[in-house]
Amino acid sequence: MTLSARLQSLIDAGVHRIGELEIRLETAGHSFLLCHHLDAEAAGREDFGGLEIHHGPDDARDLSTWSEDGGYRFAKAQTNLRRGWVMLLADIDQLRLALDGFYPAAVGVFAAMLDGTLDIQNLREKLERQTGMYRFARTISDEGAQRLVREVCGPAHQCARRILWRLNDNTPLDDSEASRYNGVPGEIPENEAIPLLCREACNHMVAECRRVAKEEAGK
Amino acid sequence: MSIAPKPQSALLIVGHGSTENPDSSAPYFEHAAEIRRRELFAEVHTCFWKEEPSMREALYMIDSGEVYVVPDFISEGYFTQEVIPRELDLTGRSSNVRGKTLHYCQPVGVHPSMTGLLLQRAREIAPDANPAETTLIITGHGTGLNQNSTKAIRDQVGLITASGAGFAHVTDAYMEEQPFIAEWDKLSPTENVIVVPFFIADGLHSYQDIPVLLGIEPEVGPAASEREVFRHNPHHLRGKTLYYSSAIGTGRHMADVILDQVRDFDLAHGEHTTSL
Repeated sequence: MTLSARLQSLIDAGVHRIGELEIRLETAGHSFLLCHHLDAEAAGREDFGGLEIHHGPDDARDLSTWSEDGGYRFAKAQTNLRRGWVMLLADIDQLRLALDGFYPAAVGVFAAMLDGTLDIQNLREKLERQTGMYRFARTISDEGAQRLVREVCGPAHQCARRILWRLNDNTPLDDSEASRYNGVPGEIPENEAIPLLCREACNHMVAECRRVAKEEAGK
Repeated sequence: MSIAPKPQSALLIVGHGSTENPDSSAPYFEHAAEIRRRELFAEVHTCFWKEEPSMREALYMIDSGEVYVVPDFISEGYFTQEVIPRELDLTGRSSNVRGKTLHYCQPVGVHPSMTGLLLQRAREIAPDANPAETTLIITGHGTGLNQNSTKAIRDQVGLITASGAGFAHVTDAYMEEQPFIAEWDKLSPTENVIVVPFFIADGLHSYQDIPVLLGIEPEVGPAASEREVFRHNPHHLRGKTLYYSSAIGTGRHMADVILDQVRDFDLAHGEHTTSL
């Protein structure tokens, strides 16, 4: 089954949210409408409540590049997606392209998790295979790594991903808001959303591990 | 030059990206959009080292069983020889990864067609400069990590010198190794000097760092997309007339170079027109 077909079946089963995006069906002659979930009420009005209108998926990258306050969103799961727009999409393929613009690979990663084919890499394995300037990150202590998860990850630090990895096979992450987070921003039932998943530590986390490892080594 | 359509295959363009400057990844998306418009592949995707989707997640976005991986990088080096194979789990020129066949093509910057793009860019930014009275400098980063990283530029200098383009002098220069781009005036025997950055994007290095080294800017300024005033050639500096180009990778013809590398892969390793 193609990823577009998978996405369609998820929507048929009641999914209408991914990250901060609300997915609406059959609006003003278009198959799908995307908007920030906090703009959903305005987007439901006949004139889209004065929201800026975008046709097709091409503007997804531009809309997701800058936050409201002008910050560069290099990590797309940051919980600061800007508001004030709607995107009208003709079909499920356009919806999939748009979602890969806002939340790259999130649909495919979730589909792989449902299929049991998602590769998850623990932090120690991730750090062990770093080369060049990031090689030093592997020397970070377990305590340092656990603290970084609390200080870098989770919605309190603007990341909406559900962490699936552990430090290693035998060492789960310490309990915290970050390690408990379910990957679904907003107050909706989990089965109505495609969660944002973190299948291995991002490069921002690796860079932070290197920084802390250097501090620990007194360098 | 175009290639035969590959309706069963995906194209995956790999870029560096940046956590500091969104302009760094703009060309990759433009190259992908240009190739998508031509409807040659079932799907065209991008992935990055520093941005999302990461190389580690790229295959989860792809339906096709056969994927051509083209590094949208300017040279063979640390990223193309170590980082990309490691991150994509490549084992050779063709690899089976997660049930897909990945064909690893050469980086765009080493393709012979880059010579024509460099000469075209030099003519565009300095149409009135007589080549016989002009020095052409191709500039790159330079690094101690991998000696191959400057080879693509040195090769281009040789090709342009031999091309009959007629420049008084052609040389390479780097940010972090000799010959240094900061000494561009000493490297140039002529009054006219054209500097073309051999980078994919007008990101931190070519748009912000090198202008300071050249003396165009007193200090590192904002990113291209955040500037209100555009720079204008020529610049009269250090007793010379300097023309500074945007990064070579920002031209739309780079989409053709990506396709050239796919075609060259097939020529070198046999046709792969059907899903494996």
